[in-house]
Amino acid sequence: MTKSYATLVYRVTLIVLFSLLLGSLFRLQVIKGAKYQRIAESNFVRIRRITATRGEIYDNKYRPIVSNVPSHNLFLTSGKIHNFPALAKFLDRNFGIKEEDLHQLVLKQRFKTYEEILLADNIQYEKILMLSEQMNYYPELSFRIGATREYLYPNHFTGYVGRINEKEYELYRKEDYSLNSYIGKTGLERYYEVLLRGKDGREIVQVDAQGRSLELFAENSNVEPLNGLSVVLTIDNDLQKFVSDTFPSGMNGAVVVSDIRTGGILAYVSKPDYDPNLFMQKISPDIWKFLNRPEKPMMDRVIHGSYPPGSIFKPLTASIGLDSGIVTPYTKLAACVGGMKIGNRFFRCWNRGGHGSTNVIDALRVSCDVYFYDLSLKLSLEKMREYAVKNHLFGKTGIDLPNERQGFFPNTEWYKKTYGKNVGIIGHKVNLSIGQGEVLTTPIQMNAFYAALANNGLWTQPHLLKQTMGRGRLTREQLMPLTRKPLPIKQSTIKTIQQGLWAVVNAPGGTGANAKASSGTVYGKTGSAENSMGRTTHAWFCGYLVTTKPEIVVTVFLENAGGGGALAAPITRRIFDYYIGNLEEIKKVTPLPAKFRTAQDVPTEVPEEEVDPPEVVEPITEVTP
Amino acid sequence: MINRKKFDFTLLGLLVCLIIMGCVAIFSASTTVIGQHVSIQNHWWKQVIFAFISLGAIALLLKLPMPIFDIIVLPMFILNILALIVVLFTPAVNGSHRWFSFGGINYQPSETAKLFTILMVARIISREHLNEYRQIFYGFLIVLLPVAIIIIEPDFGTTLVFWTSLMAMLIAADVPVFYVLLFISPVVSIISSLWWYAIPIWIIIFVLLLLRARLSWVAVTVAGIANVFIALITPVLWMGLKDYQQNRILTFLDPTRDPLGAGYQIIQAKIAIGSGSVYGKGWLMGTQKNMNFLPEHHTDFIFSVIGEEFGFIGSLLLLGMFIAFFSRIIKNTGELKIKERKVATAGILAYLMFQSFINIGMNIGLVPATGIPLPFISYGGSNLLINTISVGVILKYLNERGFIK
Repeated sequence: MTKSYATLVYRVTLIVLFSLLLGSLFRLQVIKGAKYQRIAESNFVRIRRITATRGEIYDNKYRPIVSNVPSHNLFLTSGKIHNFPALAKFLDRNFGIKEEDLHQLVLKQRFKTYEEILLADNIQYEKILMLSEQMNYYPELSFRIGATREYLYPNHFTGYVGRINEKEYELYRKEDYSLNSYIGKTGLERYYEVLLRGKDGREIVQVDAQGRSLELFAENSNVEPLNGLSVVLTIDNDLQKFVSDTFPSGMNGAVVVSDIRTGGILAYVSKPDYDPNLFMQKISPDIWKFLNRPEKPMMDRVIHGSYPPGSIFKPLTASIGLDSGIVTPYTKLAACVGGMKIGNRFFRCWNRGGHGSTNVIDALRVSCDVYFYDLSLKLSLEKMREYAVKNHLFGKTGIDLPNERQGFFPNTEWYKKTYGKNVGIIGHKVNLSIGQGEVLTTPIQMNAFYAALANNGLWTQPHLLKQTMGRGRLTREQLMPLTRKPLPIKQSTIKTIQQGLWAVVNAPGGTGANAKASSGTVYGKTGSAENSMGRTTHAWFCGYLVTTKPEIVVTVFLENAGGGGALAAPITRRIFDYYIGNLEEIKKVTPLPAKFRTAQDVPTEVPEEEVDPPEVVEPITEVTP
Repeated sequence: MINRKKFDFTLLGLLVCLIIMGCVAIFSASTTVIGQHVSIQNHWWKQVIFAFISLGAIALLLKLPMPIFDIIVLPMFILNILALIVVLFTPAVNGSHRWFSFGGINYQPSETAKLFTILMVARIISREHLNEYRQIFYGFLIVLLPVAIIIIEPDFGTTLVFWTSLMAMLIAADVPVFYVLLFISPVVSIISSLWWYAIPIWIIIFVLLLLRARLSWVAVTVAGIANVFIALITPVLWMGLKDYQQNRILTFLDPTRDPLGAGYQIIQAKIAIGSGSVYGKGWLMGTQKNMNFLPEHHTDFIFSVIGEEFGFIGSLLLLGMFIAFFSRIIKNTGELKIKERKVATAGILAYLMFQSFINIGMNIGLVPATGIPLPFISYGGSNLLINTISVGVILKYLNERGFIK
């Protein structure tokens, strides 16, 4: 057998390589074994997440709406559990955590047993003091200070945060969420989660039981967290509070106040409301029952409810007639005798006494149904639908809140699908012309539509976010450009409609006389929409205020309250009066608070505050006896 | 099918021993003990099933007539290259395109590419009347084909396996050793440039080795100067790199620089192995393992579980087993008389040996971390299968030997 050269090379290589391995292993396990045993016993080398501070939410004058407050949380390190039954009993007695749930938690975390699990948050300080002695028996438990959210007032737009659930964790785990993470569940907290959240940092824990550094890793290898961006809203806290307070108690409904030119929402109220702070603690069954009572306080009626608009829809019907030249502002249509006979059906006007023959402005003023019945006979359903779509009353407005409900307007196809091939369209069309029947809109859509009418036909997307603050300052336009689109309505038509809306409030016999404000000019339209939810009508009022220029648009919606002119219009007036009375206060530009100032602001802002007082060096006087 | 006189039962026995050790380690790695609570993942029985499939594959391979085996090498190689190209278009997993996944089983074409490339290279460079330059040139070309694709995946560690195998095969194909020396000399020169005093020592050793190989003075001088040049130019090039590029290379060489990434795993593996000390903590009793400080410790870091639970004694046993196993293959290379088979065996030997060394070295912080599993021990069905089949090829060659002295 020839000993080849190659075999020798292989043997030498094998011996060299494996001697290296054996030598290293000997050094690691035999010589340094004791040291590593000590490190292993302390179980202290690990990476810990440093949670980024969530961005806060402010109103347009930098007053807080949602802020962070410290909270005490209880954590469990499952790898350190020694006596499971005792632990389970302790937690059940003091924190109401059932043994089964605990078992599930531990099981879920079994591949990261060194990572802490958040067991309970927002624990009262008294409770911590009470338990501190017993805690010594459970080294696997630890209290730690974290942050929780505080919501300044009950509302529907901020939403709330909550612990990430299993479904969300699966969905977002790639985006660096842990099982302990909080995530925005609804409202702005959810919509702007990406901005508010920031980026968690990492800390390398490498100390032994005595607190000495193990020097396994370089110092300063931590990754600092990037705090979330704070968010400034278009909401005005004072106005919001006024609107919320002026809302008649015991009624359900919504009020939206927005700036006509910017489209920014100044007040956003849905009643009854709920306190988002409730969700920051474990919700008791009683509270849960209260939140789910028949009045549905959790429902955001501004965007999550779509309702028949009733007469506030009439300007749209009128504009189709005017635009297409079927009627002129002076054309009088069929005489109202308390209703109108179409085919062999009699369609009633709301006023049994009748309005006689009217033109478009008078029809709007007295809200005569017959004028629009007659007009609808000359319009095609498809044209009406097209107008509803182009005026953003169909579909969504794209407001910066999650789960916006769509508005709806039927077309022939829809009727055929729903009622069969031989459906008579005319009867439905007559109903649709006055905003009854199958048409549904959300209060926010009506608000945006009237804002567009006030703004000479330029529709602006309603929105809540004004700008971000903190690490990056971005306006809403830089973040997500707003949709601004002219309505399809002709300028001359808009002028006519505006005259009609003026007459509603200001002309004698107008249905919206209750909305007339102390100064400034109010335009608007009342609505009392019949609906399937109850016998009484929904009360609507959409109106806008013009002083020297268009100011604000207000939409009031009261669920099953009664007539719009009697109930909704006075609320609108109070809001207009408040707005005019506090015009200077509301319009005042607030200087940027100091904590948001960055280097680039310093030269332009008042420099006095930045200058440190000169240091006074105290002469050291030696006291000699 | 098995020729009792020729078949290498010892090699098969060692192989089975290694696989059994792997299954024992994987069982422990997939078990977590928290207090009284024990949970077991299903990795271990998957591995057991694959162990049986792999041994079955060896049986099939032994039955396969030699001519057919010879014929299918080329088509399999081409198919494999195609698979490597296709895999680039699959969705990325952890940032690289390496895996096909069919119903829970992940197939990594670069794994099979190792075997087929080795067989292919062996076929080409063992042809008669081929001078050394051609041998080197052809071998280089064939290896470059899969390597160029795998680099794109990207999977740098795996490509090293190919080059190592190529070198072992060239030596087996009677290419003088000094060519291989020339091959790797630039790498050594680059490393030696880290310490300036290492440069002259290395160059002197290099020149002496070349002289001993009876190379002409001219060639020795050229090679020597070239290497001095490389060693001197490296620092200059290094300075020319951007900071982040330097960082990336440094982190590859010293993972503790990146404590949140690879460094964390290396340190945890070292703590686990070191804390195993001489006798270990006992099977299933590894505390570091149970705390799951190391993610995925059933694959690339399986050695940390062995080191922790069986201590230095256990590590010694495993390394001893590997040494016996490789020695046996080395012995066999000397006994194979058909050049192609001998060369192929050398390639397989180098590929298994290199992977074992790199993997264990990575676990104890001796070599940079690369995603190379420990042959026969790490969890991974397709990986176990292809490694076993590679040994099967050697067994087949031995079984089909013409005569024995």
